[in-house]
Amino acid sequence: MATEEGSKAELEADFSINDEEMKRWMGRAFEMAKDALENGEVPVGCLMVHRDEVVGKGRNEVNETKNATRHAEMVALDQVLDWCRHSNLDVRSVCERTVLYVTVEPCVMCAAALRLMNIPLVVYGCRNERFGGCGSVLDISSANLHDTGTTFRCVAGHRAQEAVEMLKTFYKQENPNAPRPKTRKD
Amino acid sequence: MEPQMKRWKGSECDADSWVAYPILSDEQSEDVELVEAFAAPIVNKKETSRLIRELNSLYPLNGLQHVKRVRACRNKDSPHPLEVLLCLISDAPNTKEVSILSLLPSDGDKWEGLGEPFVVKIPARPPLTRPQFELASQRWPTSFHEDKQVTVALKGELFSPQQKATMHMFMTSAVAAARAAEQLGMEAVGAVVVDPEREQVVAVGHDCRGDHPLHHAVMVCIDLVAQSQGGGCHRSDRYAACRFTPTDPTELHPEGGALPYICTGYDLYVTREPCVMCAMALVHSRIGRVFYGAASADGALGTNFKIHAQKDLNHRFEVYRGVLSEQCEDLNMQDVLREHVEGRTE
Ligand SMILES: [Zn+2]
Ligand SMILES: [Zn+2]
Repeated sequence: MATEEGSKAELEADFSINDEEMKRWMGRAFEMAKDALENGEVPVGCLMVHRDEVVGKGRNEVNETKNATRHAEMVALDQVLDWCRHSNLDVRSVCERTVLYVTVEPCVMCAAALRLMNIPLVVYGCRNERFGGCGSVLDISSANLHDTGTTFRCVAGHRAQEAVEMLKTFYKQENPNAPRPKTRKD
Repeated sequence: MEPQMKRWKGSECDADSWVAYPILSDEQSEDVELVEAFAAPIVNKKETSRLIRELNSLYPLNGLQHVKRVRACRNKDSPHPLEVLLCLISDAPNTKEVSILSLLPSDGDKWEGLGEPFVVKIPARPPLTRPQFELASQRWPTSFHEDKQVTVALKGELFSPQQKATMHMFMTSAVAAARAAEQLGMEAVGAVVVDPEREQVVAVGHDCRGDHPLHHAVMVCIDLVAQSQGGGCHRSDRYAACRFTPTDPTELHPEGGALPYICTGYDLYVTREPCVMCAMALVHSRIGRVFYGAASADGALGTNFKIHAQKDLNHRFEVYRGVLSEQCEDLNMQDVLREHVEGRTE
């Protein structure tokens, strides 16, 4: 009992994220999102941070792989697994101390995947009105699901407006009926 | 030994041994919601059409277009043959004593021909399925725009014996893939993606959780479909039972039509109801239809959620449960038993 409480306290201490940390990691997640946009993918980027070390990063790569499940979070989770393998560390104990920083609220699928991997905390920018799994469409992050890993906590809103603007830019390009942005020849 | 026996018996079964039932949306499967209204007997039958006209303009039944204004009296010995809806209780003036005169404005002898009002419960929403229609009609006559396919599907009669034989064959492949996963020490779940137009298997996959906690059978299959289209990112070639059929664009569309795009128009056969992650992956992949054998505790296509019929999502698909149900339930049982044994030895 005592050890369990001890490790819980340790977890809480690990996750008192300060503003400076949030700015730093979210800044890098936004860079990933920009890279996605430049490559014709839905602009979402993310970082997985374990004890101040990046153990996974990803951006949407659905078009590139022809696999509609290759969201930023899924790409990053694959990297976390590889990192654990190379570092010879137990996946579960690493994931239980890993924070996800992502520019957009994880979708229903990714929220379930994060639960299955036991990620305890998600920091995200804007809400995901189309697919959001942390309250926007469904609340998978806190749903009572016995066989779907552990629930996780969310901290939302950092650079939200910017994340929304990037999504808007993408969907405008994607919609063939939308007026084409004028190409300037400077 | 019991499961072993059942399993053997299962392999002897043919397509008559199971029925595929549709998993409908909540709105389609909910009980009939009722709302209270005042009705009154029409004592003078000759006045019926005039009374309906007057009532329609005084108390139009807004949002209740499915409810008929008049019904034949249920009690055969009743002195009056018809009863008419006056208004919803929520629309009625707030009076202590309910009478025709308290509900309707006294206006000459306009309301002559109506008897004393009484309370009835009428269906609040139009029925979407035949069972809902039958329940609603017991309360008050209701109109129904029947979706014939849903009616037939709810009876378990949507698929012809020939179609069932084909479905049986595809789910048998999924069961075989599940057994292969079990042999490898992974969960006994198998999945097959089919192009229903050509009745051809596009991909077969099974649970690969031993490699990766997220490689559920459905996720493996989705990536195999991507591989069939020249994409993909997992490498599952080391498992003989996980395979895909490369798409040949020339054979597919000699006139140079659209190439296959993710899982658009494809059917999925999976032995166990998909979890939330897999169900949403199927939405993202734009699957056509999903057939599963057995429900699962955290299933998201009927048990916990109905992701395929979720409001606000941009893609919906049909789901049927029960194909090869006995064999698929056996597979689940094997997993439960194994976990139990493993739990004990830990
Ligand atoms: Zn996602
Ligand atoms: Zn799953």
